[in-house]
This record gives sequence, C-alpha cells and structure tokens, in this order.
Amino acid sequence: MIKDGVISFFLKAYLVVLFIFVFAPIIASVIFSFNSDRFPTIPLGSFSLEWYKLIINDPDIAKAAITSIIVAISSSILATFIGFCTAYSDYRYDFRFKGPYLALALLPPTVPLIIMALAMLAWLSKFGLSGSVLSIVLAHTVLCTPFAMAIIRLRLSQMDTSLEAAAWNLGASEWSAMREIVVPFARPAIISSLCLTAAVSFDEFAVAWFVSGLNKTIPVVILEIVQGNIDPRVNAIGTFVFLTSMTLVIIAQVIFMKNQNKGAVSG
Amino acid sequence: MTQANKKRRVDLYALTWRLPIIVWQFLFFVGPLVFLIAMSFFVVKNYRMVETFELASWERILSRDYFWSSYLYTFGMATFATVLATMLAFPASFALAFKVSANTRRWAMFFLIVPFFTSYLVKTFSWYVILAKTGVVNSLFGYLGLGPYTLLNTWIGTMVGFMTLVLPLLVLLQTLSLSQVDKNLIEAAHNLGSGRFRTIFNVIVPSAKIGLIVGALFCFILSFGDFVSPYYLGGSTPQTLSILIIDTTKSGNQWPRAAVVAICMMVTLFVIAFTSIVFAYRKPKS
Amino acid sequence: MNETKTKPLTNPTRRKFLKYTAAATIAAPYITSVKAAPTEINMLAWYGHGEPDIVGAYEEANNVKFNAKYYAGGDNMLALISQSPPGTYDLILSDAEFVLQLNAAGYIEEMDAAAYNFDDMLHDDFKQFPGHWKDGKLFSVMVRGGHLGVSYNKNAMTAEEAMSYKGFWKPELKGKVGHFDWHLPNLGMMSLQNGNGAKLWDLDDDAWKAVQETTMSLRSQVGGFFDYGGTFNSLKNGEMQAMCGIGDWITGVLEKDGAPVASVIPEEGGIQFTESYSIGKGSSKQAEVQKFIQHMLTPEGQVRSAEMAAYPGFCITKGGLALLQETNPKEAARSGQVEGAVNEPIRLINEGRIHYRDIPTQQGLEDWNDFWSDYKNA
Repeated sequence: MIKDGVISFFLKAYLVVLFIFVFAPIIASVIFSFNSDRFPTIPLGSFSLEWYKLIINDPDIAKAAITSIIVAISSSILATFIGFCTAYSDYRYDFRFKGPYLALALLPPTVPLIIMALAMLAWLSKFGLSGSVLSIVLAHTVLCTPFAMAIIRLRLSQMDTSLEAAAWNLGASEWSAMREIVVPFARPAIISSLCLTAAVSFDEFAVAWFVSGLNKTIPVVILEIVQGNIDPRVNAIGTFVFLTSMTLVIIAQVIFMKNQNKGAVSG
Repeated sequence: MTQANKKRRVDLYALTWRLPIIVWQFLFFVGPLVFLIAMSFFVVKNYRMVETFELASWERILSRDYFWSSYLYTFGMATFATVLATMLAFPASFALAFKVSANTRRWAMFFLIVPFFTSYLVKTFSWYVILAKTGVVNSLFGYLGLGPYTLLNTWIGTMVGFMTLVLPLLVLLQTLSLSQVDKNLIEAAHNLGSGRFRTIFNVIVPSAKIGLIVGALFCFILSFGDFVSPYYLGGSTPQTLSILIIDTTKSGNQWPRAAVVAICMMVTLFVIAFTSIVFAYRKPKS
Repeated sequence: MNETKTKPLTNPTRRKFLKYTAAATIAAPYITSVKAAPTEINMLAWYGHGEPDIVGAYEEANNVKFNAKYYAGGDNMLALISQSPPGTYDLILSDAEFVLQLNAAGYIEEMDAAAYNFDDMLHDDFKQFPGHWKDGKLFSVMVRGGHLGVSYNKNAMTAEEAMSYKGFWKPELKGKVGHFDWHLPNLGMMSLQNGNGAKLWDLDDDAWKAVQETTMSLRSQVGGFFDYGGTFNSLKNGEMQAMCGIGDWITGVLEKDGAPVASVIPEEGGIQFTESYSIGKGSSKQAEVQKFIQHMLTPEGQVRSAEMAAYPGFCITKGGLALLQETNPKEAARSGQVEGAVNEPIRLINEGRIHYRDIPTQQGLEDWNDFWSDYKNA
C-alpha cells in the first residue's frame, strides 16, 4: 500500500528528528567548546582552544577529576559487588519477603535526587562523615546498585539453571560452582556493570553537590561554574565528561551485546 | 529444577549473597530516609539543628500559600511533561517497534542508552545557550524573519529540559514493550477491517499497557523531582518544590522545613506510583 | 579448569621491574616539582575569591593552596558553616552584616588588631565597621565593598529613568526585570523606593507591610530569579533588561566585556555590600590566614581585589586606591575611583546616599525570607 509507505516514511523522519533533539545539546556543547564566543550564536565565532587551555591549566579541575575518578571506581566496584549478590540471590532463591527485598534493591532511582541529597547529607553529617570523599562513594553506591543489579540479573536469566546443579552433582561445592560457573558466565555483565555504574557516578551532581564539601567532583565543579561565572569552560569540561561517559556506556553495551547470544558456555 | 530444591535451608552461602544489599540499603538508603522523617520534627535554633519532637515545621510549611502554589505548579508541570513526553515518544517508539529492521532497532536503542547516561547538567547548559534570545534557535528564526522569541525563563525552557531528561528513557521503555506486542494480533485486527488508529488504540496500546505506564511513571518521577531545568531554563518562575528544598536549606539552615517539603514530595510520588502500577496490572474488564 | 593455576609465571622479576619503571616514569614529574607540600587553606567565600586571579600569585609565593567553597548570600554561608565540623574553614569571607551572627554563633576567632593598619582606610566607617569589634576585640576585617542600585541595559532604559527604582516598573520592561535571588538587597531596594531612606532596615509593621506591597506590585514585571551565573548571563544575553538587587559588581564585569549595561545609584539611595575576612573557629592555620588577610590589605592585594575577574569591588585603603589609579587608570575611571567622578564611592557615602546593607531590625531574617518565597511563587 502506498499510504502505508508514506506513513512509514513520516514516522522514520520523525524518529530522526527526535534523535536530533536528543543529541542536539551534546553536539552543540562540543561545538561551543571550540568556539571563541562566550555566548555562541549563529554564525559561530572563530575556532579556539582557549577554553581547553583554561581547564587544562586549572589545578582545581585536575583535583576534581581525580576525586571523580576515585569515586567512580570505588562506587562502581562496590555497586557491582552488591548488585551481583542481589541478582544472584534473586536468581537462585525464593524466600519470604522477596518482594520487599527486591523493592529495597531497586527503589533508589525512584527517589528524586534532591531528596536523596538532603537525606544523605543530614544522615552522614550526623555521623561526622559529610564533606569527605567517602561520603560521595557511599551515596553513589546506593544510586548505582540498582543498575548493576538489573544488568547482572538480565545476564543470569540467560544462564541454564541446570548448569549450576550439574556442577554440584559432580561434587563441586556451592562456592566452587560459583567461582567456576556463575562468575565466568556473568563476567560480561559484571564488566558492563562496572562501566555503566562508573558512568552514573561520574555524571551525578546533585547528591555529590550536597555531601562533597570541599572535595568536589567534576559535575560539582561544573555546577559551580554554572552558578558562578558561566563560561564555555563548562563546554570544554563537558566534552571530556561526555567522552568519558559515552565511552563507558558504549563499552558496557558492546560487551553485554556481544555475549548476549552466547547462552550457556560449553566446557 | 524443582521448587523444593530452590527452597533450601538458609545457610551461610545463601546469606552471603542476600545480606550485602540489605545491610547497605538500611545503612545508606533507608537510614537517611527515616532520618529525614525524624528531622522534619526537629527545630533550628541559631542555625543549629536541635533534635526534638515538634510539629512547628509541619505547621509552618503546610500553612504557607507558597508551598501549595509551588506544589500545584510542580505537579502540573510534571503531569504535563508526562503527557507531552508520552505523545512525543510514542510515534518514535512505534516506528522503532514496527517500521524498522531489527538491526536498526538495536542500533537505535544502543544510541538511546548513551544520552540517558551522559551529563544532564552539561546538556542543560547547552540548551541555555541554544535557547537564549541571542542564541542559536533565535538566530535561525531570524533568518526566517521571525522572532526573537523568549524561550528561556519560561515554562517552554523547563519543558525542553524535561524532554531532554526523559525522552531517551521513555522511547526505550516504550519500544521494548511495543516490540513485545504479538504481531499476529495486529494482523488479525487488520484482517477484521480495523482502521490504523483503531488498531493502535484497541490492540497495540492495551497489549503494551504495562510498559507504557511504567515509562510514563518514570517520566513523572524524573520531572517532578528535577531542579536543574526549572532553575536554569525556567528561571524559577515560579519555583518548583525541588528549588524550594534547596532555597530552604540555604536560607537559615531550615533543614526540618526542607524535610517536610521532601516528605510531601515522596508521599505524592508514592501514591502516584502505587496507583499507576495497580492500574497497569489490572486485568481489563471483559 | 583451574587453568590459571597451571599457567607458568613468566619471568616475574622482569615484570616487576617493568612495573616499577612505569610507576617511576609516571611519578617523576610530580616528584621533581614538589617543594614542600603546600599548606592547604580552606576558604568559604562568595564566588571568585579563591580563583587564580586573586590567590594564584600569592599561592605561588607563599607555598599555600586555597580550597574554596562558594556560597551565595549570608544565610547560605551560615548554613554551610553549621553543616560542617568545626575547624573546616580557615578563612571566611562574609558579608559584613553577618559578622555579628558569625560571632554570636561562635564560628570565628578573635583577631590580632595590631596586625592590621587601620589608619590607611579610606573612610572612618571602615575602621570600625558595625559588628566587627566586640568589647574592644577585633573579629573581622573589611576588605572590599561595592554599591548596589539600579542595573540596566542602556538600550532599554535611559540614564534618567534608571535614576529611580520606579524605572523597574516601566511598562516596556514587562517580563524583563530580573531579581538576584536573595531577599536582602532586593527588599532593601524596595524599602528605599518606599522612601524609608536611612531607616530602610528598621521597619515597623506598617512600613514592612508597605514594602511587601511595593514588592508585590513589581511581580508582573519579573522575568526570573537568578543566582550569580544566571544574573550575569541573562543581562549579557539580553534576556533581562534591568536587574534588581545588584550593582556594578555584576554590570561592571559585563561592561568591561563591552556589553551595554550599567549600574547607577538612584535618587532614593543605594546599598553598600561590604565584604570582610574572618578566621574560622578552630582553624589550625591562623598565622597563614592572618598573613593572607594582611596581604589583601596591601596596595597590591587591594588592586587585585578591585580587578577581580568574578566581580569588582572598590578599594578601601588609600594605598590601594593610589596604586589602582596608577596601574589601571581605565578601571579606576570606570568604577568611579577617581577624584570628582559621579559614582565616586567614598563621596557617595559621605553624601549620605549609601546605606550599608544590614539585616532587618524589627523582623527576623526568616520573615523576610518567607515573604521572598511568597513573592517568588506569586
């Protein structure tokens, strides 16, 4: 039918428009970062690396980058570990209060960040923990765990349940079955989860802003530039931030997808 | 594997995997939220919080007109964002689910996941520059002899920010649920002479109901709690509850009052989430 | 299975060697550049005070490093201090009107009055700024100031119109008047508009009510409430054509950048913001902090403050003023820090057209803040 083709065409065109909208701010930010104007307009100003020079020579930004990396690595490892434990428990066991148990694990993304931030800061400062890098790690782990749990659970659901049982029947203990079968099978998901949760932590600004005190992460520095003297340094830092998180998310996806169809491992 | 086999006695091995999340969430998720409730009954004297049990903050916030107008505005904006995003996302998800090859769909979803995990803050700042009166959008309008239009510091700016935040996730969730709709069902509807739109609304939407509602719910949660777009793109005119929370903590260290606002937001979200989940899983009356 | 166990470890010593070499190579540039580790000074300040243009050279010369936490507004500052453990902040740059509260809450240390040269101050008020001394003891030292009035875009308002706060109500500015999002300077200006003059902070119930009414009548003109960055940008990109609650500290930066904006002190009078340094209670770096404050009061420090990239403020010492006129006559002229300028800060003070920003006398800050929330949601 011709009419069907026309509708199809418009729908696809619409899809393209939607993608443009979603990616516009990212692409624009990268372009602005190379633009000499402080407030870019059309036509654009001249090509400039000034904003990059500014951020590269700024020790505060370097310090924030290090803090961000420490936080992202620590919280991704913690979140992936806890996420794995939870995903495995869900995969393997039925137990009383499993519903509330899963709700407890998966609820954090539904709480607005600003509320998490407020609650976290109040709670952590009660124990004298606020203002430290540790406090950001603790908070980010809470925010990241559901993502880790979801990815690993998805992978485990592809695992043949008889695989583990077979190992036990051959005399392997539960622990060694875990080590020899479950962990290797879940490995792609574990790596994906490490990348994805690192990306989540690397971009999180609200909770970090509240609890970080003087130990600012990169997003907090961005927020302070936006609140202070807004300038295209934000775009230059943003370009790095985009690159980092996109790389992490793409790695996460590629690894996960590559192994998607390799169901049960042989051997 | 039998159910009995799964229900083994809870042993050390099982506990090792089950406990970490419980311990962690109680320490750093449930703990803070419970403390938030307790905090709403504290009072602040000389910029210091005194742990006590008084209803002062509740009385104060709930009796303030600005709280209620801000509540209505936030609720309205989030509802509008949910409806708008659902409408904007649906044709795209529909196209992804039914009109493109599986390969294209996979790539599209691949690229939708990326923006969802990239700095919302930098994207917002980018919109700030694009939407300014002297910005990119208005210069393009200028070539057409239109404008300049005021886009920043209006609800339009806020909505653009909300859409940036929610559309990738929403299209993902909708596409996932739409592509699980049984194609035979659609075929059958067509064969029975059902028109295109009737097929969509009578067959596709009901079959994908759960995914569509969960998507909309996420949309509502994200827009209801976001403070970046209403502040930086909307000029906080008027302010939303999230901005009110920040303002309240900033001025005079009134955390108990901020906690009251936060609890009201949480309760609202809880009620909305509960109703929509019930609605999503309710069996259609035949 | 157990493949890893059977895998022979090839040449462990070589691998170790490589590892150490790599580590050493990465670390080398750091090791060579390290003098002694710099003393870290935690600073709580308005945006810009810890940026390289202010502290960079000083850090280099004295082997210290400033960690800055920025706030906006005195209430915000107090909140931040009370949220952190004592001794967190070594140096606090506060608005002068909040020093009294800092002191009352026990957040600041007594300072050594003999360490500072008060005779060099440009105005007698700066020597004994209200609240900075208590029972003959010094708690805070003023470092800079600036005047707040009507800030406007020259294409949207004439200089005459800007000479009164009434200008904000100009019909053409509908939706284009912005507020700096802090109640104190904004409501202070509304109080001046109501003719309260020197009693702008001392409002009885009726006067306070009148100020609220005046403010509310401006609401339909207002296009937004902004933090520092937002204020700056919306004036720059023309989203806002007039701004209430600020002064040259923002328009000055834009003016230097070539934007058609200006600030004037209107007929009804203007407000002075005053910034002062205090030493945080329990700081372990009091000597270093004192040295830095002394530095900021030297002519060089004063000029640096006057030229501050984030926002300008006028010099408060004779030495600073003289050096500014000598080294940067352009900025001195722009900011009125030359003999006979219309906006000469000290003359404006002496003529009684300037009122020091203060906290409300008859209402609590909380009442003002509450009304501000009401106003924002109206």
